[in-house]
Amino acid sequence: MGIGEFAIIGTGEVPCGNYPERSEFEVAYSVARMAIQDSGLDKNDIGAVLCAQHIMSNPDNDYNTEMVFGRLPEAIGAKGCKVTCMTSSGGASSYSIRKTAEGILRSGEADTVLVVHAQRFTQFTPNEQAKYFSIAGSDVEWEVPYGMTFNSLAAMITQGYMNYTGTTIEQIAAVCVACRKWAMLQPNAMFNHKEITVDKVVNARMVSYPLTTLMCNVLGDGGSAFIMTTAEKARKVCDRPVYFLGEGSNYSHRTITRGDVKDLDQMTTFTAPIAKEAYERSGLGPEDMDIYEIYGSYPVVNLMVMDSLGFVEPGKSGALVEAGETSPGGKYPCSTNGEAMSFGHSGTGVGFAMLVESVRQLQGKAGAAQVEGARFLIENCGGGAFMDCHFAVMGNEIPG
Amino acid sequence: MASGQIDIETIKAMLGLCDEDLVKPLPIPTKWSKPFWEAALQHKLVLKKCSKCGNIDHPPYMYCTACMADDHEWVEASGKGTLAAYAINIFGVPFPFWADLPYVVALIDLAEGPRMISNIVECDHDRLENGMELEVVFDDVTDEVTLPKWRPVDESRRG
Ligand SMILES: [Zn+2]
Repeated sequence: MGIGEFAIIGTGEVPCGNYPERSEFEVAYSVARMAIQDSGLDKNDIGAVLCAQHIMSNPDNDYNTEMVFGRLPEAIGAKGCKVTCMTSSGGASSYSIRKTAEGILRSGEADTVLVVHAQRFTQFTPNEQAKYFSIAGSDVEWEVPYGMTFNSLAAMITQGYMNYTGTTIEQIAAVCVACRKWAMLQPNAMFNHKEITVDKVVNARMVSYPLTTLMCNVLGDGGSAFIMTTAEKARKVCDRPVYFLGEGSNYSHRTITRGDVKDLDQMTTFTAPIAKEAYERSGLGPEDMDIYEIYGSYPVVNLMVMDSLGFVEPGKSGALVEAGETSPGGKYPCSTNGEAMSFGHSGTGVGFAMLVESVRQLQGKAGAAQVEGARFLIENCGGGAFMDCHFAVMGNEIPG
Repeated sequence: MASGQIDIETIKAMLGLCDEDLVKPLPIPTKWSKPFWEAALQHKLVLKKCSKCGNIDHPPYMYCTACMADDHEWVEASGKGTLAAYAINIFGVPFPFWADLPYVVALIDLAEGPRMISNIVECDHDRLENGMELEVVFDDVTDEVTLPKWRPVDESRRG
């Protein structure tokens, strides 16, 4: 893979939150138009339209089926569309769909790809949502019969990580506080009107010890889109393209008990080499990054990812976050959209939201959350029950 | 630890749940995992061991994940393990489990190598400790299904 071979030139996003009257179709059509208009291209320049599978389906008008069967290019009037398809890998979908886009671009069949995500959880009852998520993160044969949940999985990883690294519950809570501070600067974040404190997070209702409600992400309706093209075309049509400079990936497991790494204080032995690969392929290092766009969805995962990024000694991320270094104004800005914990968890869309925010930051379009002069950042996503991990070094210039 | 006891009848009425929503999910064995659950019913903990390369797969799959061979034997495990990490569920679990709150789910490292998710039962929640020794116990949840669970070896930690 060449450095800076592909670029994103435009993005669109709707607010994340509870919007029962806003169908997935409305979200998809809205963000598609925003991204096209943001890129400055004509809609008929779009040669391929890719949709992320959303999770939980409404059998009466199934969004996934409609998108698989080509609803989107027709609805948005993309007359130049030659290819359409759906891709998903849960929380890692923003990565796998981008790789699909790269394949199409590299084939030469199309030189401009529109990628769309849309999700509406609020069409389902709390019981339906609870049922879906009681099995989504866990193995139905080996875990669900024991009353296992996504929150319990994150809770036991938190418990183990704290015990083995000496990280405190206040430091875990500090991740949620930092995410909230960023969300306060984001117009599309679900929780952007009220600050929280470490005290409040620690003393919130206990869900699954040691996690309280404020340490668990909240599902929200949402969606976003981006336009991806070749670097060559990007330079011609866009003032400030955002290039992919180097990436790294690895898969570990479906069932947490079969993870590649067993020791909860050694998770960096899985994730650090992936980040290292992304850095090396880009020719840049941790010291060159202006932002670290981490997708954890639970505070402990954010810390484990920070541990692997080379700007902090593994196991010491909690102290760094507690000192405010990852918050707005800090030395190591992390997860600048507020992350799933405060931006909201839009199913397969968390990674899309993080990627779209990465592009906004590097295009200087991040508004109040803008990190001044950001040139390079490392972006992260992963899916399933922490099944995989992906890093991408991105930049608004190609380092010479 | 604060108790999470919330009246299930209140929840049922509030969310319009039917009795079916409160039935606990049971493992549905696959062709290749059936011997595990049949042994559990006999209060035996068994593991799938490849006859060709000796690899133990848990959860078991159709063929050996190390060498893809079909030939295997089911070996009886010692029933000893250690606690790698745990969570104590207090609130917000699937409805069939509300009546059990608070309960412990844990990552257990078996003496034979594999790791399992299960419940820690008969234990004092304040005396759970990473690395503590555990032993298997069998919970006959129905006439057809038995779930292997774990309890502290040290009787002073039992509750
Ligand atoms: Zn084998």
